[in-house]
Amino acid sequence: MSEQGNLAGKVALVTGGCGGIGQAICRRFAKEGAEVFAADVAAPAGDLPAGVRYLPFDVTDEAAVLAAYRTVEDAFGKLHVLVNAAGIEIEKTIEETSLAEWNRIFAINTTGTFLASKHGLPLMRKAGGGSIVNFGSYDGFIADPGLAAYCATKGAVHALTRAMACDHGPENIRVNAICPGYIDTPMLQSFFGSAGDIESLKEEVRRVHPVGYYGTPDDVANLVNWLAGDEARYASGQLWVLDGGLTAQVQQMRV
Amino acid sequence: MSEDFSGKVAIVTGGSRGIGRGIVAAFAQAGAQVVTCGRGSGPGDALLENVRWRTADVSQEADVADLVARVKADFGRADILVNNAGVQSEKTVTDSSDDDWDTLMGVNAKGVFLMCRQVIPLMASGGGGAIINIGSISGFHADPGMALYNASKGFVHALTRSIAVDHGPQGIRCNAICPGWIMTEMADQAFAYADNPAAAEKDALARHAVGRMGKPQDIAAAALWLASDQAGFVTGQTHVVDGGLTAASPVNPALF
Repeated sequence: MSEQGNLAGKVALVTGGCGGIGQAICRRFAKEGAEVFAADVAAPAGDLPAGVRYLPFDVTDEAAVLAAYRTVEDAFGKLHVLVNAAGIEIEKTIEETSLAEWNRIFAINTTGTFLASKHGLPLMRKAGGGSIVNFGSYDGFIADPGLAAYCATKGAVHALTRAMACDHGPENIRVNAICPGYIDTPMLQSFFGSAGDIESLKEEVRRVHPVGYYGTPDDVANLVNWLAGDEARYASGQLWVLDGGLTAQVQQMRV
Repeated sequence: MSEDFSGKVAIVTGGSRGIGRGIVAAFAQAGAQVVTCGRGSGPGDALLENVRWRTADVSQEADVADLVARVKADFGRADILVNNAGVQSEKTVTDSSDDDWDTLMGVNAKGVFLMCRQVIPLMASGGGGAIINIGSISGFHADPGMALYNASKGFVHALTRSIAVDHGPQGIRCNAICPGWIMTEMADQAFAYADNPAAAEKDALARHAVGRMGKPQDIAAAALWLASDQAGFVTGQTHVVDGGLTAASPVNPALF
């Protein structure tokens, strides 16, 4: 690596930082020179990458969010980068979804993005500005069957992303969302598990993608790293679809 | 729906078959005087009493000027224009020749431009009207091996917005309908080419939330509504009519 990484001297917090994609982002941020908080509701199963520290962070609990940010403030006094990667999936139609399940997924995916951002803003101002990267999804544009509440939470994140970008752009705070397609994570394995033979399913999924494969957490980290850094200074308010071309195409009849 | 288009004059390009034929029939049955055109000599069977056929190639300015002049001479007005005429080319960019470009863009893009340029003044002189362009879901998402077609429909979508913005003050509304898979003679043939036509059709059906493919009448119904006063506040939009096809992910585990 060259002398200085993309995020040298920056303080970054990644919610869902111990999950599949979150860990890849934390690892990349540390490699790029940032001080990184892997903020998650549960402590990591194994060791975190060098330069990454665990921060207990329940995105659904405002008091816990405030307490966590006090830890960040005590350590560094500011925050440059916030990645709202915490999220869950519920594999149900709306009829099968209970009100409690609906409220829970919105509490994490949508309200969690709201709370982590709301209380992260003061620390970003102290940094003179920053970059927030939200997690939308291609499911915020088009529907996967049996994922109704999940799709809805991501559509809300997309709209919130634009609103936050408009409101906080004047403070030098950029806000973007990345909208992943199929990324190889435990969440995806669970989705695969719901539909028969996993190996043939995986092969079919690869075949549907114009690039011939589905994504990895590192693919996501590549984009998040760019959006987090100063090279993306003119990028704000946008929804960055990262899906190997999946949604560029019309559904294809298999013949 | 029983919108009455009596006393209205509708021009529908490409009305001899498929979607265009469905649109012609719908406007005629709703009481409009319809003028439709195509490069050939007509649909080959009897036209309804209030439908006139004109041989015209919309990619040729002289044909378009003559077509609209005759509408003006015969009826003195044009209330509705449906730019339906279109051709398809099943090629990638590298496979496409200059002739492919000229033919496809001539009809799908230049044809819409020429028709609008000729009809808008006539429409405005009568106090306004409605233009309905036939775009496509392929103008939003790519169908493989249909590069120029997809691009031509993107042109139609953008032109729709420009016309709505520029000519709204003259009382003209302009919208696009973006059909998905509509069963026409052409689509029937596509299934016949599949290795297993029955399986192909079953697969295609499973991708439609409504459980069936589209019919020309589905597009005609949307065109009728967009042309009606019910849609008086609707302009500059691209309306997808595809039975839910593009609302769903291209990955459908139920098909694996």
